[in-house]
Amino acid sequence: MAALDLRAELDSLLLQLLGDLEELEGKRAVLNARVEEGWLSLAKARYAMGTKSVGPLQYASHMEPQVCLQASEAQEGLQKFKVVRSGVHAPEEVGPREAALRRRKAPTKTPEPQSSEAPRDPLNWFGILVPHSLRQAQASFRDGLQLAADIASLQNRIDWSRSQLRGLQEKLKQLEPGAA
Amino acid sequence: MLEGAELYFNVDHGYLEGLVRGCKASLLTQQDYINLVQCETLEDLKIHLQTTDYGNFLANQTNPLTVSKIDTEMRKRLCGEFEYFRNHSLEPLSTFLTYMTCSYMIDNVILLMNGALQKKSVKEILGKCHPLGRFTEMEAVNIAETPSDLFNAILIETPLAPFFQDCMSENALDELNIELLRNKLYKSYLEAFYKFCKNHGDVTADVMCPILEFEADRRAFIITLNSFGTELSKEDRETLYPTFGKLYPEGLRLLAQAEDFDQMKNVADHYGVYKPLFEAVGGSGGKTLEDVFYEREVQMNVLAFNRQFHYGVFYAYVKLKEQEMRNIVWIAECISQRHRTKINSYIPIL
Repeated sequence: MAALDLRAELDSLLLQLLGDLEELEGKRAVLNARVEEGWLSLAKARYAMGTKSVGPLQYASHMEPQVCLQASEAQEGLQKFKVVRSGVHAPEEVGPREAALRRRKAPTKTPEPQSSEAPRDPLNWFGILVPHSLRQAQASFRDGLQLAADIASLQNRIDWSRSQLRGLQEKLKQLEPGAA
Repeated sequence: MLEGAELYFNVDHGYLEGLVRGCKASLLTQQDYINLVQCETLEDLKIHLQTTDYGNFLANQTNPLTVSKIDTEMRKRLCGEFEYFRNHSLEPLSTFLTYMTCSYMIDNVILLMNGALQKKSVKEILGKCHPLGRFTEMEAVNIAETPSDLFNAILIETPLAPFFQDCMSENALDELNIELLRNKLYKSYLEAFYKFCKNHGDVTADVMCPILEFEADRRAFIITLNSFGTELSKEDRETLYPTFGKLYPEGLRLLAQAEDFDQMKNVADHYGVYKPLFEAVGGSGGKTLEDVFYEREVQMNVLAFNRQFHYGVFYAYVKLKEQEMRNIVWIAECISQRHRTKINSYIPIL
């Protein structure tokens, strides 16, 4: 009986794993498309504004991130990643922030909200009157951010499912040494 | 000025006009573009460019070849040709050529000021400045805190000095003010250039004035389009429009009130020249307003070569060469990003 339950659990875990893999493929394709679009929109912006107007000259080497990555533990050591806008931290999140919060672009300061102003929009590095293609590039890259966090969570879940699967298969072997 | 330029033009400027027409004949043709579009890597592109008039201009570049390096080398080459024209020119062609360099000087000043805002080193930015807009006081631009500072201390000796009249203010130079400064300087520059061409009269005025009017109208449209959704107020926007051109004064007043692309299109529909341009925006090719305006600019500049004995050929040649550089950079970007769907969006010239 225990073996049957185990088999049922094994099957459902396998189905979930395959579903996750399919979702991962889909999300990866969308992320690639967004990033490609973003780079092409940047090239279009260079066509409209001039090649040297959209490049490394326009941003400082130290920058404040607009979004931060928040890692949280769900169950049994499974980590989930979420993208949050920086500058809107609730006070009760100060504790796990030190350990789990990882910045996307790392400044050398400690992660505490020093000024009350929101970080400036990176679009303004290139001037106030920017062409539409630059805004499109920013939107594409923003979409890609959330997708990247989702993909990381999915990959974690897939790894976790595989280890669970292996564990269950071991157990099944012990219960029915000839079968499985 | 003297009517009947045919009698006197060649004495002072004939050699240079012949030279610039020769340079124009060596612009890339449609066949050259077809060859470039078929390249798989930037190295292929370099090899194909060697067979054109560009020759071995990339020979000294270290690996890996980047789009930025190609652009820098092309600009240096254009600057070399232009400096030759300028060094051999006599008045009033020299003043005309100096006016042409002012727009690049304005761009360089803004680049330096933005760099100061981002705390970049001056050397780094000087390397990326446009060579046509070089002037001796460039290194000192990053010290200025306000536009009046900038004018009094640094730019008073440069050709940009007369354009500072509307821009003197004590406001600190942040991003919004730098953008306003750039557009106001450009507006004064365009108005001064237009007046110069108009006063010169003769074929030069016939050819250059419509081109500059189109430039003024184009700036008005693009400033309006890019200001939607930003913190620029309508009154501020109106002060940035150049005060000449087909749109002046009624169209500019209407444009200042526009709040989205459709309202802007309604304003353009009043003008026979701009109505078809706006209708070509979007559609199946995904053309932007900037693309459509670049195409029209190329048409006008090619037509400038149909008349002789005027200075417009120099302006037209530099603008056509710039469009060619934009085309090559676009093709190079598509090749390096391996995104070939839009690679044919360049604008053929010859």
